[in-house]
Amino acid sequence: MSVAAIAKKDFRDSVQSRALWGLLVVFVALALLITYSYVEFPEMVGGTAEASIGGLVFFMAGVVSLFVSLTAIVICYKAIAGERELGSIKLMLALPHRRRDVLFGKLLGRSAVLSLALAVALVVGFGFGFAMLGTVSLVPVVLFVPATLLFTVVYVSIVVSISASTGSTARATTYAIGFFLLFELLWDVVPLGVVYVVNGFSLPEQTPDWLFLMGQLPPSTAYVSALTALLPDLTTTVGQDSFAGSGIDAFYATPEIGFFVLTLWLVVPLAVGWYRFANADL
Amino acid sequence: MAAIELTGLTKRYGEVLAVDGLDLTVAEGEIFGFLGPNGAGKSTTIDILLDFVRPTAGTATVLGHDAQRESMAVRRRTGVLPDAYHVYDRLTGRQHMQFVLDSKGIDGDVDAVLERVSIREAADRKAGGYSKGMRQRLVLAMALLGDPDLLILDEPSTGLDPNGARQMREVIQTENERGTTVFFSSHIMEQVEAICDRVAIINRGRFVAVDTIDGLRGANGSTTTLTLPAPSLGEDTLAMLRNRDDVVSATWDARELRVSLASQVQRFDVLKALDDAGVDVSDFSVEESSLEDLFLEYTTRDQEVRDSPGTDRDGDHAGRTEPDGPDVDREVEQ
Repeated sequence: MSVAAIAKKDFRDSVQSRALWGLLVVFVALALLITYSYVEFPEMVGGTAEASIGGLVFFMAGVVSLFVSLTAIVICYKAIAGERELGSIKLMLALPHRRRDVLFGKLLGRSAVLSLALAVALVVGFGFGFAMLGTVSLVPVVLFVPATLLFTVVYVSIVVSISASTGSTARATTYAIGFFLLFELLWDVVPLGVVYVVNGFSLPEQTPDWLFLMGQLPPSTAYVSALTALLPDLTTTVGQDSFAGSGIDAFYATPEIGFFVLTLWLVVPLAVGWYRFANADL
Repeated sequence: MAAIELTGLTKRYGEVLAVDGLDLTVAEGEIFGFLGPNGAGKSTTIDILLDFVRPTAGTATVLGHDAQRESMAVRRRTGVLPDAYHVYDRLTGRQHMQFVLDSKGIDGDVDAVLERVSIREAADRKAGGYSKGMRQRLVLAMALLGDPDLLILDEPSTGLDPNGARQMREVIQTENERGTTVFFSSHIMEQVEAICDRVAIINRGRFVAVDTIDGLRGANGSTTTLTLPAPSLGEDTLAMLRNRDDVVSATWDARELRVSLASQVQRFDVLKALDDAGVDVSDFSVEESSLEDLFLEYTTRDQEVRDSPGTDRDGDHAGRTEPDGPDVDREVEQ
């Protein structure tokens, strides 16, 4: 009841964020542009001679992961830190809510907001894509939705947890942007750097298998892996590999690892955020 | 059972003792004033009652529940008007009220409560556009929803005009008559004096006085003086006055009668006694030593003692929850 009350209030509040809908407009435009160029020039954009549903889905996944990560940061970094800084948290916690109710309520409310915006973008994007391709394929879309929903909740959970761990929005911003830089932009080189250091400051001839595991750590990579696990048939129609583990012989080198990593990202930040928030003086 | 009970309550922020070993019992049904200058530790104490802040030592019990371990039970039965709060700018007044109903799992007549605080016509406007006084009224309305057993009001008159402050007092009194205990803080003696049964004066984290208003006056030797013109007066009348328990002293200089009383409320009894004795009481005047003076004396006297070398403490930082004004620079957009 407590969680639902907070989620409802939070949804009503943050669904009115102008930044959210501004970002949505930008990304819908981007999705349309990318869909159009992929269907028109598949060999240039996708690397295959013919445009396919599979290609479209994975292209969409790329746009979605960027949209979700950036939007989650924009609409969630203040979720709790902002309320603490302004003092509205006093109105909320003067009511009978546990701090964990606040955390889960925020997670639920903001996930709903972001999912709503994403749903708008996907309907427009896929509608346009199918119209351009001249065929409609429902199964991939139906499987695409739950994986994308999970990814959205995961990202919201990460940023809300960051927001719960500090009483300053400046610090929350720094942490959230730092997270994005590290895991979404720089992560290509980080595992290599680790290998380099572990190997005594030189690169080994054969990269170790755990390099793959480290490479799977970014939420957006895990999301694409999870999609690959859900839509194995489609991946064959995509020119490039959507999954980096195909050449590795290890029990963890399956696309399903994406679900495992996403679950980790869902649970671990929440636990840390809850611990910090529950023990804080407001 | 006590509505609020503090035992050795202490809160330390680094080097600063915001609250220093407070012991206090507030009885059920009381209107209790919590008085002190800004930064004295009022908000820290209230924050502990609501579990916003955890004490370094000591305990607080609210309505029989431990304020930390059983905070949910406390907050279910308590209505709160916090200090330095911020409303949800994008939500309407009505949505704020609905949030309270949802949170407490209760039904309530939102319109009726908004009417009581005179902002019903603004119910469907976004709270971001409210004036400071309207926000204060809205948050009071949120506190009143569900008829709580205890009202905790932190500086309730902030941002209210004199009319609003009077209305606030009326609401407090009406709630109290229904049996609600009211605990409210203020840095202005006048607001407390008008309605409180008892008062605690806090300064630099410590109580310097806990007493009734009358008790405060008595303890400090402050009195109410009745003056009335009396061209003639019988010797027995003067003796009668001096024999009364409620009269501190009585003097007559052949022109004027001056009677010092222990408290203002007793003046009617004394006037009646004088009237019975055949003295014309139609033109009396009352002079009172101000409680504001008393409050200042309590809080500055203590400060001088504590400011002596070796006991240097920065009181301005002790109450970090009490900003000097609204933070207009803060961006609300998310």
